[in-house]
Amino acid sequence: MIDIEHELANLAEVPPAHLERVTVLAVDAGDQVAMKSSVHGPLWISWSKRGITGLTPTFVDETVDAFIEHHRRAGYDVETLPSALDHDIETALASGVAEGLSFDLRGLSSFQVSVLEACQTIPCGSAQSYGWIASQLGKPGATRAVGTALAKNPIPLLIPCHRVVRSDGSVGSYAFGSDMKRELLVEEGVLLPGM
Amino acid sequence: MFGPWFRNFSIDCNETIPQPVLLGMNLNAPSTDREIKQALVTHRDAGFTMLVVRFQPGIYSGARRLTHRHEDAEEVAQETFLRAYRALGGYDDRRISNLKLSGWLWTIAINLCRDRASGRRRPIAIATRLAASGADAPPIDAAAWNERLARLSTDQRTAVVLRHVADLSITDISEIVGRPQGTVRADISRGLDHLRDVLAREETP
Repeated sequence: MIDIEHELANLAEVPPAHLERVTVLAVDAGDQVAMKSSVHGPLWISWSKRGITGLTPTFVDETVDAFIEHHRRAGYDVETLPSALDHDIETALASGVAEGLSFDLRGLSSFQVSVLEACQTIPCGSAQSYGWIASQLGKPGATRAVGTALAKNPIPLLIPCHRVVRSDGSVGSYAFGSDMKRELLVEEGVLLPGM
Repeated sequence: MFGPWFRNFSIDCNETIPQPVLLGMNLNAPSTDREIKQALVTHRDAGFTMLVVRFQPGIYSGARRLTHRHEDAEEVAQETFLRAYRALGGYDDRRISNLKLSGWLWTIAINLCRDRASGRRRPIAIATRLAASGADAPPIDAAAWNERLARLSTDQRTAVVLRHVADLSITDISEIVGRPQGTVRADISRGLDHLRDVLAREETP
């Protein structure tokens, strides 16, 4: 005789693999993630329905799991970026101008968002100091806080935090190392007293 | 995929929640009710992902027994969470903290299962075999159990599935289906008796 209660208790079925992803993405509670080659080497890119949410070179996060773990939202990896997004990022990285791109910065504080917005007004080929950003925000004493906010920039390269340098002309710190920051500035034609 | 919203240079920052709330949080690790509710209060999207990871497999399993097709179960398991997400938008912190997550989700799911049962009844003979669903096949003949459970009344089947497949308490089931606890107990008892009769007939040559 079949043990009814035992059989019923073991009727659990694994849902189709796509179900969780489809559900979370349907309400825009998570992002899609894909690798993209670029002039700066391979990059992990994440995006939501609202725009780009993250960018990290693969030499920083070697695997997609590492990238997602460091990400501030749930991430689901896909093979490739949508072609329009891929093209716009390619253009922005090559030109240093992020026209045509949207950034989804939900999850950041209003101060962090303000710092990143000010940073985006610095044109390719020039640089500004941390103090300049602080002044733009009407908080001239917040230089250190500006540096902290820029260090947590989730979308470096596209939001050009590398264009913010020390007031004495030295390049200052960078999430991917001062050498890369210096190289990026040189590529954009910026010459600082400290370089 | 990307419409006009993506073509304009802009920043979307309607929600200004401190980032550290999420740093180091493994959204895919099993979470307790308390952890999920805390996340739903501090960052709804992260909490929602944790809610889906924790409860969607169970809702799907139960819905597979209460609907006729795996597509229906998938729809129920997805729509339950979409409705939950929309509802969360209108809940304040206190209400979220007081939620009984499993019961709340199952209340939504049962209503969806009922809608499908009443609006799109299909012959049980076409009940989908697991191989066709693409899911990992369990060692028990789930399709045969679908057919046996389909012989019960809707109330009995719902009560039996919630108690013995979804492993909910009598108290929770009573709240979910809106029937007294004694009635739920009777539904379960009569449902199991009916299943024993069905099995006995199957075993009679």
